[in-house]
Amino acid sequence: MGLLTILKKLKQKEREMRLLMLGLDNAGKTTILKKFNGEDVSTISPTLGFNIKTLEHRGFKLNIWDVGGQKSLRSYWRNYFESTDGLVWVVDSADRLRLEDCRKELNALLLEERLAGATLLVFANKQDLPGALSKEAIREALALDDIKTHHWSIIGCSAITGENLLTGVDWLLDDIAARIFTAD
Amino acid sequence: MEVGAGNGDTGLSDTVKIPERLLRRDQARLEEAERRKDAKESQTVSEEKSDFFSATFNSEKAAIEHLINTCPGTDRDAACKTLEEVTHKIQQLQKFLNDSMMFLTSYELRQAQASVQKLQSSLAEKRDVALPKKKFAFRSRQAGAAKNTETTQSTAATEKSKSDSVVGSVLEAAISADMCGFSNADSKVLTKKADEIQQRDVLLSHLTNCKVTLYGSPSTLHIKNVRNCQILCGPVSSSVFVDQCSGCTLSFPCQQLRTHNTTDTKIYLHVTSRAIIEDCQNVAFAPFTWTYPGMDDDFIVSGLDRERNNWSQVDDFNWLAANTPSPNWSVIPEAVRTDAWEIAVPSE
Repeated sequence: MGLLTILKKLKQKEREMRLLMLGLDNAGKTTILKKFNGEDVSTISPTLGFNIKTLEHRGFKLNIWDVGGQKSLRSYWRNYFESTDGLVWVVDSADRLRLEDCRKELNALLLEERLAGATLLVFANKQDLPGALSKEAIREALALDDIKTHHWSIIGCSAITGENLLTGVDWLLDDIAARIFTAD
Repeated sequence: MEVGAGNGDTGLSDTVKIPERLLRRDQARLEEAERRKDAKESQTVSEEKSDFFSATFNSEKAAIEHLINTCPGTDRDAACKTLEEVTHKIQQLQKFLNDSMMFLTSYELRQAQASVQKLQSSLAEKRDVALPKKKFAFRSRQAGAAKNTETTQSTAATEKSKSDSVVGSVLEAAISADMCGFSNADSKVLTKKADEIQQRDVLLSHLTNCKVTLYGSPSTLHIKNVRNCQILCGPVSSSVFVDQCSGCTLSFPCQQLRTHNTTDTKIYLHVTSRAIIEDCQNVAFAPFTWTYPGMDDDFIVSGLDRERNNWSQVDDFNWLAANTPSPNWSVIPEAVRTDAWEIAVPSE
Protein backbone atom coordinates (compact mmCIF):
# COMPACT_ATOMS: atom_id res chain seq x y z
CA MET A 1 0.00 0.00 0.00
CA GLY A 2 2.72 2.45 0.98
CA LEU A 3 4.72 2.06 -2.17
CA LEU A 4 1.63 2.24 -4.34
CA THR A 5 0.62 5.49 -2.70
CA ILE A 6 4.03 6.97 -3.26
CA LEU A 7 3.99 5.89 -6.88
CA LYS A 8 0.54 7.31 -7.43
CA LYS A 9 1.53 10.54 -5.77
CA LEU A 10 4.58 10.81 -7.99
CA LYS A 11 2.50 10.13 -11.03
CA GLN A 12 0.00 12.71 -9.95
CA LYS A 13 2.71 15.26 -9.66
CA GLU A 14 3.71 14.55 -13.22
CA ARG A 15 0.20 14.94 -14.51
CA GLU A 16 0.52 18.65 -14.47
CA MET A 17 0.03 20.83 -17.51
CA ARG A 18 0.63 24.43 -18.20
CA LEU A 19 -1.87 26.09 -20.50
CA LEU A 20 -1.41 29.61 -21.83
CA MET A 21 -4.52 31.47 -22.91
CA LEU A 22 -4.02 34.34 -25.32
CA GLY A 23 -6.03 36.35 -27.83
CA LEU A 24 -7.01 39.92 -28.68
CA ASP A 25 -8.68 42.04 -26.04
CA ASN A 26 -12.40 41.38 -25.55
CA ALA A 27 -12.04 37.83 -26.92
CA GLY A 28 -13.37 36.38 -23.66
CA LYS A 29 -10.26 34.77 -22.18
CA THR A 30 -11.02 35.65 -18.58
CA THR A 31 -14.66 34.70 -19.02
CA ILE A 32 -13.65 31.27 -20.33
CA LEU A 33 -11.30 30.77 -17.41
CA LYS A 34 -13.86 31.80 -14.83
CA LYS A 35 -16.68 29.85 -16.44
CA PHE A 36 -14.50 26.77 -16.59
CA ASN A 37 -13.77 27.21 -12.92
CA GLY A 38 -17.43 27.74 -12.13
CA GLU A 39 -17.14 31.37 -11.06
CA ASP A 40 -19.42 34.34 -11.68
CA VAL A 41 -18.82 35.82 -15.12
CA SER A 42 -21.07 38.88 -15.02
CA THR A 43 -18.63 41.32 -13.47
CA ILE A 44 -15.44 40.68 -15.41
CA SER A 45 -13.33 43.72 -16.27
CA PRO A 46 -10.74 44.02 -19.02
CA THR A 47 -7.67 42.22 -17.68
CA LEU A 48 -4.97 44.59 -16.55
CA GLY A 49 -2.14 42.10 -16.17
CA PHE A 50 -2.92 38.40 -15.86
CA ASN A 51 -4.87 35.73 -13.99
CA ILE A 52 -3.64 32.29 -13.00
CA LYS A 53 -5.87 29.43 -12.01
CA THR A 54 -4.85 25.97 -10.94
CA LEU A 55 -7.58 23.44 -11.27
CA GLU A 56 -8.08 19.71 -11.43
CA HIS A 57 -9.73 18.21 -14.42
CA ARG A 58 -9.93 14.54 -15.37
CA GLY A 59 -7.16 13.80 -12.97
CA PHE A 60 -4.84 16.38 -14.48
CA LYS A 61 -3.66 19.42 -12.66
CA LEU A 62 -4.02 22.38 -14.99
CA ASN A 63 -2.17 25.62 -14.52
CA ILE A 64 -4.03 28.05 -16.72
CA TRP A 65 -2.49 31.45 -17.44
CA ASP A 66 -4.78 34.11 -18.78
CA VAL A 67 -2.86 37.16 -19.95
CA GLY A 68 -4.54 40.46 -20.91
CA GLY A 69 -4.96 41.04 -24.63
CA GLN A 70 -4.81 44.83 -24.89
CA LYS A 71 -2.31 46.09 -27.42
CA SER A 72 -0.05 47.49 -24.73
CA LEU A 73 0.08 44.12 -22.96
CA ARG A 74 0.81 41.95 -25.99
CA SER A 75 4.53 42.67 -25.82
CA TYR A 76 4.52 40.98 -22.41
CA TRP A 77 3.02 37.76 -23.74
CA ARG A 78 6.46 36.35 -24.42
CA ASN A 79 7.23 36.39 -20.71
CA TYR A 80 4.75 33.56 -20.31
CA PHE A 81 5.89 31.26 -23.14
CA GLU A 82 8.35 29.12 -21.17
CA SER A 83 7.36 25.46 -20.71
CA THR A 84 3.87 25.90 -22.08
CA ASP A 85 2.21 22.58 -22.94
CA GLY A 86 -0.88 23.99 -24.59
CA LEU A 87 -1.74 27.30 -26.19
CA VAL A 88 -5.38 28.34 -26.13
CA TRP A 89 -6.07 31.05 -28.69
CA VAL A 90 -9.39 32.75 -28.04
CA VAL A 91 -11.21 34.54 -30.86
CA ASP A 92 -14.21 36.85 -30.59
CA SER A 93 -16.25 35.34 -33.42
CA ALA A 94 -18.41 38.44 -33.65
CA ASP A 95 -15.49 40.85 -34.01
CA ARG A 96 -15.24 40.83 -37.80
CA LEU A 97 -13.32 44.07 -37.94
CA ARG A 98 -10.25 42.71 -36.20
CA LEU A 99 -10.01 39.20 -37.62
CA GLU A 100 -7.04 40.27 -39.68
CA ASP A 101 -5.27 41.57 -36.53
CA CYS A 102 -6.16 38.30 -34.88
CA ARG A 103 -4.61 36.25 -37.68
CA LYS A 104 -1.38 38.27 -37.58
CA GLU A 105 -0.97 37.97 -33.84
CA LEU A 106 -1.55 34.22 -33.95
CA ASN A 107 0.91 33.73 -36.79
CA ALA A 108 3.55 35.67 -34.89
CA LEU A 109 3.01 33.40 -31.88
CA LEU A 110 3.38 30.23 -33.90
CA LEU A 111 6.83 31.34 -35.05
CA GLU A 112 7.90 31.57 -31.45
CA GLU A 113 10.56 28.99 -30.62
CA ARG A 114 9.50 28.49 -27.02
CA LEU A 115 5.98 27.58 -28.13
CA ALA A 116 7.20 25.15 -30.76
CA GLY A 117 6.15 22.06 -28.82
CA ALA A 118 2.78 23.36 -27.67
CA THR A 119 -0.58 22.09 -28.87
CA LEU A 120 -2.85 24.81 -30.24
CA LEU A 121 -6.54 25.00 -29.41
CA VAL A 122 -8.49 27.79 -31.10
CA PHE A 123 -11.71 28.73 -29.34
CA ALA A 124 -14.14 30.46 -31.71
CA ASN A 125 -15.84 32.12 -28.76
CA LYS A 126 -19.16 33.99 -28.48
CA GLN A 127 -21.11 31.54 -30.61
CA ASP A 128 -24.13 32.56 -28.54
CA LEU A 129 -24.16 35.99 -30.22
CA PRO A 130 -26.40 36.30 -33.25
CA GLY A 131 -23.65 38.06 -35.20
CA ALA A 132 -21.01 35.41 -34.59
CA LEU A 133 -19.12 33.85 -37.47
CA SER A 134 -19.10 30.08 -37.66
CA LYS A 135 -15.98 28.19 -36.70
CA GLU A 136 -15.47 27.30 -40.38
CA ALA A 137 -15.37 31.00 -41.27
CA ILE A 138 -12.91 31.66 -38.45
CA ARG A 139 -10.80 28.72 -39.56
CA GLU A 140 -10.59 30.25 -43.01
CA ALA A 141 -10.05 33.79 -41.82
CA LEU A 142 -7.17 32.74 -39.59
CA ALA A 143 -5.78 30.44 -42.31
CA LEU A 144 -5.54 27.60 -39.80
CA ASP A 145 -5.16 24.98 -42.49
CA ASP A 146 -1.77 26.45 -43.31
CA ILE A 147 -0.46 25.57 -39.86
CA LYS A 148 1.91 22.63 -40.21
CA THR A 149 4.10 23.24 -37.18
CA HIS A 150 1.64 22.51 -34.39
CA HIS A 151 -1.14 20.10 -33.57
CA TRP A 152 -4.25 22.26 -33.72
CA SER A 153 -8.01 22.17 -33.52
CA ILE A 154 -10.74 24.79 -33.66
CA ILE A 155 -13.85 24.57 -31.53
CA GLY A 156 -16.85 26.87 -31.50
CA CYS A 157 -17.83 27.75 -27.96
CA SER A 158 -19.58 30.22 -25.74
CA ALA A 159 -18.01 31.30 -22.49
CA ILE A 160 -21.32 32.75 -21.34
CA THR A 161 -23.35 29.56 -21.75
CA GLY A 162 -20.36 27.29 -21.20
CA GLU A 163 -21.11 25.45 -24.43
CA ASN A 164 -18.22 23.31 -25.71
CA LEU A 165 -15.66 24.64 -23.24
CA LEU A 166 -15.22 21.16 -21.84
CA THR A 167 -15.01 19.58 -25.28
CA GLY A 168 -12.21 21.95 -26.20
CA VAL A 169 -10.20 21.47 -23.06
CA ASP A 170 -10.68 17.70 -23.25
CA TRP A 171 -9.29 17.64 -26.78
CA LEU A 172 -6.34 19.72 -25.65
CA LEU A 173 -5.65 17.45 -22.68
CA ASP A 174 -5.86 14.32 -24.82
CA ASP A 175 -3.44 15.73 -27.34
CA ILE A 176 -0.96 16.89 -24.73
CA ALA A 177 -1.28 13.69 -22.72
CA ALA A 178 -0.62 11.58 -25.81
CA ARG A 179 2.57 13.54 -26.26
CA ILE A 180 3.84 13.78 -22.71
CA PHE A 181 2.48 10.87 -20.72
CA THR A 182 3.04 8.18 -23.29
CA ALA A 183 3.45 5.64 -20.50
CA ASP A 184 -0.31 5.68 -19.80
CA MET B 1 21.62 -22.34 7.77
CA GLU B 2 22.43 -22.97 11.33
CA VAL B 3 20.19 -25.98 11.64
CA GLY B 4 21.66 -27.69 8.62
CA ALA B 5 25.19 -27.04 9.83
CA GLY B 6 24.37 -28.46 13.24
CA ASN B 7 23.01 -31.61 11.62
CA GLY B 8 26.17 -32.24 9.63
CA ASP B 9 28.47 -31.74 12.64
CA THR B 10 26.76 -34.05 15.10
CA GLY B 11 24.44 -36.93 14.29
CA LEU B 12 23.61 -37.84 17.90
CA SER B 13 21.35 -35.03 19.08
CA ASP B 14 18.64 -35.30 16.43
CA THR B 15 15.99 -36.04 19.02
CA VAL B 16 16.81 -32.82 20.88
CA LYS B 17 17.07 -30.73 17.72
CA ILE B 18 13.81 -31.73 16.08
CA PRO B 19 11.47 -30.00 18.51
CA GLU B 20 13.63 -26.88 18.18
CA ARG B 21 13.37 -26.99 14.40
CA LEU B 22 9.66 -27.56 14.64
CA LEU B 23 9.41 -24.69 17.02
CA ARG B 24 11.23 -22.41 14.62
CA ARG B 25 9.18 -23.49 11.67
CA ASP B 26 6.04 -23.04 13.68
CA GLN B 27 7.11 -19.54 14.61
CA ALA B 28 7.92 -18.70 11.02
CA ARG B 29 4.53 -20.00 9.99
CA LEU B 30 2.85 -17.86 12.62
CA GLU B 31 4.74 -14.82 11.48
CA GLU B 32 3.79 -15.50 7.92
CA ALA B 33 0.14 -15.84 8.94
CA GLU B 34 0.37 -12.60 10.84
CA ARG B 35 1.82 -10.86 7.81
CA ARG B 36 -0.90 -12.21 5.57
CA LYS B 37 -3.50 -11.08 8.02
CA ASP B 38 -2.02 -7.59 8.05
CA ALA B 39 -1.89 -7.48 4.30
CA LYS B 40 -5.47 -8.61 4.09
CA GLU B 41 -6.55 -6.02 6.58
CA SER B 42 -4.96 -3.21 4.68
CA GLN B 43 -6.63 -4.57 1.56
CA THR B 44 -10.05 -4.44 3.15
CA VAL B 45 -9.51 -0.88 4.25
CA SER B 46 -9.04 0.23 0.70
CA GLU B 47 -11.99 -1.84 -0.45
CA GLU B 48 -14.11 -0.22 2.17
CA LYS B 49 -12.97 3.15 1.00
CA SER B 50 -13.85 2.48 -2.57
CA ASP B 51 -17.16 0.98 -1.45
CA PHE B 52 -17.85 4.17 0.40
CA PHE B 53 -16.88 6.12 -2.70
CA SER B 54 -19.13 4.24 -5.08
CA ALA B 55 -22.05 4.37 -2.65
CA THR B 56 -21.76 8.13 -2.17
CA PHE B 57 -21.03 8.74 -5.80
CA ASN B 58 -23.97 6.71 -7.02
CA SER B 59 -26.47 8.20 -4.61
CA GLU B 60 -25.31 11.71 -5.50
CA LYS B 61 -25.49 10.83 -9.18
CA ALA B 62 -29.05 9.50 -8.76
CA ALA B 63 -30.03 12.71 -6.96
CA ILE B 64 -28.71 14.83 -9.81
CA GLU B 65 -30.42 12.69 -12.41
CA HIS B 66 -33.64 13.02 -10.49
CA LEU B 67 -33.26 16.80 -10.40
CA ILE B 68 -32.61 16.95 -14.12
CA ASN B 69 -35.57 14.75 -14.92
CA THR B 70 -38.00 16.61 -12.71
CA CYS B 71 -36.86 20.05 -13.85
CA PRO B 72 -40.00 22.00 -14.76
CA GLY B 73 -40.05 22.67 -18.46
CA THR B 74 -42.63 25.43 -18.41
CA ASP B 75 -41.61 27.82 -15.66
CA ARG B 76 -38.48 29.61 -16.83
CA ASP B 77 -37.40 30.95 -13.44
CA ALA B 78 -37.87 27.66 -11.66
CA ALA B 79 -36.07 25.80 -14.42
CA CYS B 80 -33.21 28.28 -14.26
CA LYS B 81 -32.92 27.78 -10.52
CA THR B 82 -32.98 24.02 -10.73
CA LEU B 83 -30.41 23.92 -13.51
CA GLU B 84 -28.14 26.17 -11.51
CA GLU B 85 -28.42 23.80 -8.58
CA VAL B 86 -27.65 20.87 -10.85
CA THR B 87 -24.58 22.63 -12.22
CA HIS B 88 -23.39 23.22 -8.69
CA LYS B 89 -23.99 19.61 -7.69
CA ILE B 90 -22.15 18.27 -10.68
CA GLN B 91 -19.20 20.46 -9.81
CA GLN B 92 -19.24 19.11 -6.27
CA LEU B 93 -19.38 15.58 -7.61
CA GLN B 94 -16.42 16.23 -9.87
CA LYS B 95 -14.51 17.57 -6.91
CA PHE B 96 -15.39 14.54 -4.82
CA LEU B 97 -14.14 12.35 -7.64
CA ASN B 98 -10.91 14.31 -7.88
CA ASP B 99 -10.36 13.98 -4.15
CA SER B 100 -10.96 10.24 -4.27
CA MET B 101 -8.68 9.62 -7.22
CA MET B 102 -5.90 8.37 -4.98
CA PHE B 103 -7.49 5.06 -4.01
CA LEU B 104 -9.61 4.30 -7.05
CA THR B 105 -8.61 1.77 -9.63
CA SER B 106 -8.29 3.17 -13.08
CA TYR B 107 -11.40 1.32 -14.17
CA GLU B 108 -13.49 2.87 -11.43
CA LEU B 109 -12.01 6.24 -12.19
CA ARG B 110 -12.90 5.99 -15.84
CA GLN B 111 -16.41 4.80 -15.04
CA ALA B 112 -16.97 7.67 -12.65
CA GLN B 113 -15.60 10.20 -15.10
CA ALA B 114 -17.87 8.87 -17.80
CA SER B 115 -20.86 9.25 -15.46
CA VAL B 116 -19.94 12.85 -14.70
CA GLN B 117 -19.61 13.59 -18.39
CA LYS B 118 -22.95 11.98 -19.06
CA LEU B 119 -24.53 14.13 -16.37
CA GLN B 120 -22.96 17.20 -17.92
CA SER B 121 -24.35 16.41 -21.33
CA SER B 122 -27.83 15.64 -20.06
CA LEU B 123 -27.70 18.94 -18.17
CA ALA B 124 -26.78 20.72 -21.39
CA GLU B 125 -29.63 19.00 -23.21
CA LYS B 126 -32.07 19.93 -20.50
CA ARG B 127 -30.87 23.49 -20.58
CA ASP B 128 -31.39 23.67 -24.32
CA VAL B 129 -34.94 22.46 -23.87
CA ALA B 130 -35.93 24.44 -20.79
CA LEU B 131 -34.09 27.68 -21.54
CA PRO B 132 -33.78 28.01 -25.30
CA LYS B 133 -31.08 30.45 -26.28
CA LYS B 134 -31.74 33.99 -27.37
CA LYS B 135 -30.16 33.10 -30.69
CA PHE B 136 -33.24 31.35 -32.01
CA ALA B 137 -35.64 34.06 -30.96
CA PHE B 138 -33.43 36.55 -32.66
CA ARG B 139 -33.00 34.73 -35.92
CA SER B 140 -36.66 34.90 -36.71
CA ARG B 141 -36.67 38.58 -35.88
CA GLN B 142 -33.60 39.15 -37.99
CA ALA B 143 -35.25 37.38 -40.87
CA GLY B 144 -38.18 39.74 -40.50
CA ALA B 145 -35.98 42.80 -40.42
CA ALA B 146 -33.93 41.64 -43.34
CA LYS B 147 -37.03 41.53 -45.51
CA ASN B 148 -37.46 45.26 -45.45
CA THR B 149 -34.01 46.42 -46.30
CA GLU B 150 -31.25 44.09 -47.23
CA THR B 151 -32.68 40.82 -48.45
CA THR B 152 -30.64 40.79 -51.61
CA GLN B 153 -27.48 41.98 -49.96
CA SER B 154 -27.45 39.58 -47.05
CA THR B 155 -28.40 36.46 -49.00
CA ALA B 156 -25.78 37.31 -51.57
CA ALA B 157 -23.29 37.71 -48.78
CA THR B 158 -24.03 34.41 -47.09
CA GLU B 159 -23.97 32.53 -50.36
CA LYS B 160 -20.72 34.16 -51.17
CA SER B 161 -19.21 33.17 -47.85
CA LYS B 162 -20.34 29.59 -48.37
CA SER B 163 -18.94 29.08 -51.82
CA ASP B 164 -15.94 31.35 -51.90
CA SER B 165 -12.74 29.93 -50.58
CA VAL B 166 -10.61 33.07 -50.83
CA VAL B 167 -9.96 34.44 -47.37
CA GLY B 168 -10.29 38.10 -48.25
CA SER B 169 -13.68 37.93 -49.82
CA VAL B 170 -15.08 35.76 -47.08
CA LEU B 171 -14.02 38.37 -44.60
CA GLU B 172 -15.49 41.17 -46.62
CA ALA B 173 -18.78 39.42 -47.03
CA ALA B 174 -18.79 38.57 -43.37
CA ILE B 175 -18.21 42.15 -42.36
CA SER B 176 -20.98 43.54 -44.51
CA ALA B 177 -23.45 40.77 -43.77
CA ASP B 178 -24.35 41.25 -40.17
CA MET B 179 -23.42 44.80 -39.29
CA CYS B 180 -25.68 47.77 -39.27
CA GLY B 181 -24.84 51.41 -38.67
CA PHE B 182 -23.61 54.52 -40.44
CA SER B 183 -20.42 55.19 -42.38
CA ASN B 184 -18.89 58.05 -44.36
CA ALA B 185 -21.18 60.92 -43.46
CA ASP B 186 -20.56 64.61 -42.87
CA SER B 187 -22.81 67.06 -41.01
CA LYS B 188 -25.83 64.76 -40.89
CA VAL B 189 -28.43 63.88 -38.33
CA LEU B 190 -28.60 60.11 -38.14
CA THR B 191 -31.10 57.97 -36.21
CA LYS B 192 -31.81 54.29 -35.88
CA LYS B 193 -34.86 52.80 -34.23
CA ALA B 194 -34.98 49.97 -31.75
CA ASP B 195 -36.20 47.30 -34.16
CA GLU B 196 -33.29 47.97 -36.52
CA ILE B 197 -30.53 47.46 -34.02
CA GLN B 198 -31.99 45.17 -31.38
CA GLN B 199 -29.18 42.79 -30.30
CA ARG B 200 -27.16 43.40 -33.46
CA ASP B 201 -23.61 44.66 -33.89
CA VAL B 202 -23.61 48.35 -34.73
CA LEU B 203 -20.73 50.11 -36.50
CA LEU B 204 -20.31 53.86 -36.76
CA SER B 205 -17.29 54.84 -38.85
CA HIS B 206 -15.83 57.83 -40.67
CA LEU B 207 -18.36 60.35 -39.45
CA THR B 208 -17.70 64.08 -39.09
CA ASN B 209 -19.88 66.71 -37.41
CA CYS B 210 -22.82 64.35 -37.11
CA LYS B 211 -25.48 63.86 -34.48
CA VAL B 212 -26.19 60.16 -34.10
CA THR B 213 -29.01 58.76 -32.00
CA LEU B 214 -29.46 55.01 -31.63
CA TYR B 215 -32.54 53.76 -29.81
CA GLY B 216 -32.71 50.16 -28.70
CA SER B 217 -30.17 47.70 -27.36
CA PRO B 218 -27.32 46.63 -29.65
CA SER B 219 -25.16 43.61 -28.86
CA THR B 220 -21.91 45.52 -29.44
CA LEU B 221 -21.17 49.05 -30.59
CA HIS B 222 -18.07 49.99 -32.59
CA ILE B 223 -17.23 53.66 -33.02
CA LYS B 224 -14.29 54.19 -35.35
CA ASN B 225 -12.70 57.24 -36.98
CA VAL B 226 -15.27 59.74 -35.81
CA ARG B 227 -14.66 63.51 -35.50
CA ASN B 228 -16.69 66.14 -33.64
CA CYS B 229 -19.84 64.08 -33.31
CA GLN B 230 -22.47 63.59 -30.67
CA ILE B 231 -23.39 59.93 -30.30
CA LEU B 232 -26.21 58.73 -28.06
CA CYS B 233 -26.99 55.06 -27.78
CA GLY B 234 -29.33 52.80 -25.78
CA PRO B 235 -28.02 50.05 -23.46
CA VAL B 236 -25.31 47.90 -25.09
CA SER B 237 -25.35 44.27 -23.90
CA SER B 238 -21.63 43.66 -24.10
CA SER B 239 -18.76 45.94 -25.11
CA VAL B 240 -18.43 49.33 -26.71
CA PHE B 241 -15.26 49.90 -28.74
CA VAL B 242 -14.14 53.46 -29.36
CA ASP B 243 -11.17 53.81 -31.69
CA GLN B 244 -9.54 56.83 -33.38
CA CYS B 245 -12.07 59.38 -32.23
CA SER B 246 -11.61 63.03 -31.37
CA GLY B 247 -13.70 65.95 -30.23
CA CYS B 248 -16.76 63.79 -29.60
CA THR B 249 -19.43 63.57 -26.95
CA LEU B 250 -20.60 60.01 -26.36
CA SER B 251 -23.33 58.72 -24.10
CA PHE B 252 -24.38 55.11 -23.55
CA PRO B 253 -24.80 52.34 -20.98
CA CYS B 254 -22.74 49.19 -21.59
CA GLN B 255 -21.06 46.26 -19.88
CA GLN B 256 -17.49 47.16 -20.82
CA LEU B 257 -15.99 50.17 -22.56
CA ARG B 258 -12.72 49.87 -24.46
CA THR B 259 -11.34 53.17 -25.69
CA HIS B 260 -8.30 53.32 -27.98
CA ASN B 261 -6.36 56.14 -29.69
CA THR B 262 -8.94 58.71 -28.73
CA THR B 263 -8.44 62.37 -27.80
CA ASP B 264 -10.51 65.25 -26.46
CA THR B 265 -13.67 63.26 -25.95
CA LYS B 266 -16.37 63.39 -23.29
CA ILE B 267 -18.09 60.17 -22.33
CA TYR B 268 -21.32 60.10 -20.30
CA LEU B 269 -21.19 56.53 -19.20
CA HIS B 270 -23.03 53.76 -17.42
CA VAL B 271 -20.69 50.79 -17.24
CA THR B 272 -21.41 47.69 -15.19
CA SER B 273 -17.91 46.25 -15.26
CA ARG B 274 -15.04 48.58 -16.19
CA ALA B 275 -14.02 51.23 -18.68
CA ILE B 276 -10.49 51.14 -20.03
CA ILE B 277 -8.46 53.56 -22.11
CA GLU B 278 -5.35 52.82 -24.14
CA ASP B 279 -3.26 55.34 -26.08
CA CYS B 280 -5.76 58.06 -25.24
CA GLN B 281 -5.45 61.67 -24.15
CA ASN B 282 -7.82 64.12 -22.56
CA VAL B 283 -10.77 61.79 -22.23
CA ALA B 284 -13.32 62.92 -19.66
CA PHE B 285 -15.99 60.87 -17.95
CA ALA B 286 -19.32 61.60 -16.28
CA PRO B 287 -22.30 59.42 -15.34
CA PHE B 288 -24.88 58.58 -18.00
CA THR B 289 -27.82 60.98 -17.94
CA TRP B 290 -29.60 60.68 -21.27
CA THR B 291 -33.01 59.08 -21.24
CA TYR B 292 -35.69 58.35 -23.83
CA PRO B 293 -39.12 56.72 -23.91
CA GLY B 294 -38.75 52.96 -23.90
CA MET B 295 -35.27 52.96 -22.38
CA ASP B 296 -36.42 50.82 -19.46
CA ASP B 297 -37.42 48.04 -21.83
CA ASP B 298 -34.11 48.30 -23.65
CA PHE B 299 -32.29 47.99 -20.34
CA ILE B 300 -34.16 44.75 -19.72
CA VAL B 301 -33.26 43.46 -23.19
CA SER B 302 -29.60 44.33 -22.64
CA GLY B 303 -29.46 42.55 -19.31
CA LEU B 304 -27.42 45.38 -17.77
CA ASP B 305 -27.65 46.08 -14.05
CA ARG B 306 -28.99 49.63 -13.63
CA GLU B 307 -27.83 49.81 -10.05
CA ARG B 308 -24.17 49.21 -10.82
CA ASN B 309 -22.34 52.03 -12.54
CA ASN B 310 -18.53 52.11 -12.37
CA TRP B 311 -18.17 55.11 -14.68
CA SER B 312 -15.44 56.68 -12.57
CA GLN B 313 -13.25 53.57 -12.33
CA VAL B 314 -11.20 53.83 -15.49
CA ASP B 315 -8.16 51.62 -16.14
CA ASP B 316 -5.48 53.25 -18.27
CA PHE B 317 -3.35 50.55 -19.88
CA ASN B 318 -0.60 53.07 -20.49
CA TRP B 319 -0.49 54.11 -16.85
CA LEU B 320 0.34 51.20 -14.62
CA ALA B 321 1.47 53.20 -11.59
CA ALA B 322 -1.09 52.46 -8.92
CA ASN B 323 -0.45 55.35 -6.59
CA THR B 324 -0.59 58.29 -8.99
CA PRO B 325 -3.68 58.88 -11.13
CA SER B 326 -3.38 58.71 -14.90
CA PRO B 327 -3.01 62.09 -16.61
CA ASN B 328 -4.86 60.80 -19.67
CA TRP B 329 -8.37 60.90 -18.28
CA SER B 330 -10.41 62.99 -15.87
CA VAL B 331 -13.85 63.38 -14.38
CA ILE B 332 -16.03 66.11 -15.88
CA PRO B 333 -16.75 68.61 -13.06
CA GLU B 334 -20.39 68.58 -12.04
CA ALA B 335 -20.86 72.22 -12.95
CA VAL B 336 -20.12 71.67 -16.61
CA ARG B 337 -21.93 68.38 -17.15
CA THR B 338 -24.78 68.27 -19.64
CA ASP B 339 -28.04 66.66 -18.85
CA ALA B 340 -30.25 68.37 -21.41
CA TRP B 341 -29.57 66.29 -24.49
CA GLU B 342 -30.50 67.91 -27.72
CA ILE B 343 -32.05 65.32 -29.98
CA ALA B 344 -32.18 66.63 -33.50
CA VAL B 345 -34.86 65.30 -35.83
CA PRO B 346 -33.52 63.60 -38.95
CA SER B 347 -33.55 65.94 -41.90
CA GLU B 348 -34.19 63.31 -44.55
